[in-house]
Amino acid sequence: MDNQPKRLNQRKWSIHLFPIPALAIYLLFIVYPIIAAFSYSLYDWQGIKRLSFVGVSNFKKLLTVEPFNTMFQNALEHNVIYFVVQMVVQNGFAFLLAYFIYQRIKGSGFLKVAYFLPRLLSVIVVGFLWKLILNPTYGTLNVLLDKLGLDALALTWLGDPNTALLSIILVNCWFGVGLSLLIFLAGLQSIPSEIIEAARLDGVKGFRMIATMILPLIMQPLIMITVLTFIQSFEAFELVYAMQGSMGGPYYSTDTLAVFFYRTAFGGSSDGSASIGIGSALAVVMFALIAVITAFFLALTRKVNRS
Amino acid sequence: MKRLFSSAVILLLMSAVLAACGGNNNKEVSGSSESPSSSSSSSPSSSNASTGEKVKLTMGSWRTDDKAVYEKIIKEFNKQYPNIEIEFAPTKSTEYNAVLSTALQTASGPDIIHLRPYAAGIALGEAGYIEPINDLKGLDVFSKDVLAASTGKDGKTYGVPMALNIVAIMYNKDLFAKYNLAEPKTWDELIQISKTLKENDVTPFAMGTKDSWILSLTQGAIGPSIYGGTEFAQGLVSGQKKFTDPAYVKSLQTMKDLQEFFPDKYTGIGSEDMRTLFVTGQAAMYVMGDFDLSVVKSMNPEMNVDVFPVPSQSAGGSPTVTTYVDGSYAVNTYSKHKEEAKKFLEFTTTKEFGNLFANEMKRVSPIPGVVASDPLVAKYAGFADSISTPYVMVTNFNGGNPTTKVTLENEMQAMYFGKKTPDEVAQAVQSITDTWFKP
Repeated sequence: MDNQPKRLNQRKWSIHLFPIPALAIYLLFIVYPIIAAFSYSLYDWQGIKRLSFVGVSNFKKLLTVEPFNTMFQNALEHNVIYFVVQMVVQNGFAFLLAYFIYQRIKGSGFLKVAYFLPRLLSVIVVGFLWKLILNPTYGTLNVLLDKLGLDALALTWLGDPNTALLSIILVNCWFGVGLSLLIFLAGLQSIPSEIIEAARLDGVKGFRMIATMILPLIMQPLIMITVLTFIQSFEAFELVYAMQGSMGGPYYSTDTLAVFFYRTAFGGSSDGSASIGIGSALAVVMFALIAVITAFFLALTRKVNRS
Repeated sequence: MKRLFSSAVILLLMSAVLAACGGNNNKEVSGSSESPSSSSSSSPSSSNASTGEKVKLTMGSWRTDDKAVYEKIIKEFNKQYPNIEIEFAPTKSTEYNAVLSTALQTASGPDIIHLRPYAAGIALGEAGYIEPINDLKGLDVFSKDVLAASTGKDGKTYGVPMALNIVAIMYNKDLFAKYNLAEPKTWDELIQISKTLKENDVTPFAMGTKDSWILSLTQGAIGPSIYGGTEFAQGLVSGQKKFTDPAYVKSLQTMKDLQEFFPDKYTGIGSEDMRTLFVTGQAAMYVMGDFDLSVVKSMNPEMNVDVFPVPSQSAGGSPTVTTYVDGSYAVNTYSKHKEEAKKFLEFTTTKEFGNLFANEMKRVSPIPGVVASDPLVAKYAGFADSISTPYVMVTNFNGGNPTTKVTLENEMQAMYFGKKTPDEVAQAVQSITDTWFKP
């Protein structure tokens, strides 16, 4: 009897050893690169060669020296546009679609799968397919518009700075709508049907039902989608890279922070103009930006949870 | 549970921002004070070409398509040096630079290296990773311009030039014949040809501005005809001329004026679409390097392609083609068999190798006196021998961050959108050049 607690204690102790393999991998591949990138940002670099310690001058250069500061501002603006459009178009659509499926319209099971399907494709494939569809001369979209007599609407989608960014974001919405839909749907289905039933008996219907009953009840998935969309839009890279290359072209009109980072740190293509110092500084700024805003969202979640 | 899940997802995604950027470069490069190239004197001990012992070398490259050709070349090399076995081990072009520099940082990598031309390759040499080969037998056959692709500021040469890229105007012979057109001798004739083609609903130039590199390439080919070729280029390099010079601005204006001969919606047309327009006969002329010839021919084997140089805008001026070196063969300073690797480099300076290269690869060899059997390749080579002018954006202005070349490309895109005037483009290019370029 005396022995029992001791053994339990021993067992408890050894339990702490089990996370070590996972922790080691986490430290090596996630924590270490973050710290390393931070340290790189404090050095001067010549190509792949590390020179002297320069303190925060890479950050200063990024934020105050031409052309880095205008590129940074330009890219940041595009990330904000990315986020706003995705929130409105992708998540707005996702909510409406989820709401219809939740109403058990005919074929809702099929629709659920259909909307999620694009998500199963690789982003690079998505970019390639849409690049073909949006091709100004033989792309399906323009050919279709032409056939419909709407040739005035057949724009140079990806080649015009006024439409290029929006085209890419809308492709991203098409790609991402399925996941948001599933999260919304899960949220909707977790609402106890009695509550909706009671509200209906009280005469609540249509838009008021959504605004006053359903939205407050799915606050948690809504915030989660917002956080995921925020992170995804501030890290937007693959689609821009697949459709416009590392220049964020035409004329930086589709540049995002991540593309700007890639271009700065690793050089455009093969021209050896890599600037790892400024690139790392940019990565640190991005990390700080995303971390702070995400923390704010998390605090919000906590508040919603409590209430 | 939900909270736990969402926090985990967030943490994971957040860390992904930075996780991607650290991996590649976590090795500090040894300073020049302990430059590994100083160990070159220790190599004789490893030299055993004469002792008959078999040695195995590897050759790194970004030319994955050339495997069969290199195997032929190595076979030929082995007739002279049967004891030096060489394995051709290429890496995908877009990944080659990263793979090579990572290997070099850990003192490994292939014995024979395909070195990128100009700034990128020279940087590896100056960092001490590449064996200088100034006294290599046979290196003296190359002209100074060609060797500049692999020669550092200190005068050390790091590689044997492999191929020349030549940018000129390819044209569809059948379309020219159909409308009774001949190769233009003057700029006015070129414009006249373009007008005739346009009147007949044929796009004169297969050109698009969506891929920015196309812009510097086309400007590099057309520009010299306006600002006067090599002389002006030398002025730029020596610092006597600036990009804001009226002649250079005029070359940009000419590029802009040519847009009336570009296809519809050309701002959305990328390099592959350009080629498609050309090989399908929708466009008649194609300003492009000879390296694209084999792709054009593979896409449309029946096509009747020929090439002419860019005629000069000034009366009586010589036409030009724009050339640059495509890469060079170099020796890894960490190689255990440097002497044997140098034997292969010596082989790459011979006419015998040049002929093999020109005919198997259908590319232009920089070795003087090499005659290509393919008439079109021979025509390109003839231009390169007589009327070549350097592609300055690659040979001298591919530095800075962003590079002068990239700045020109993006500013020119803005010019085609009407957001910048040629004057403003020239100013932007000059001001980025001022941040790094020393004549």
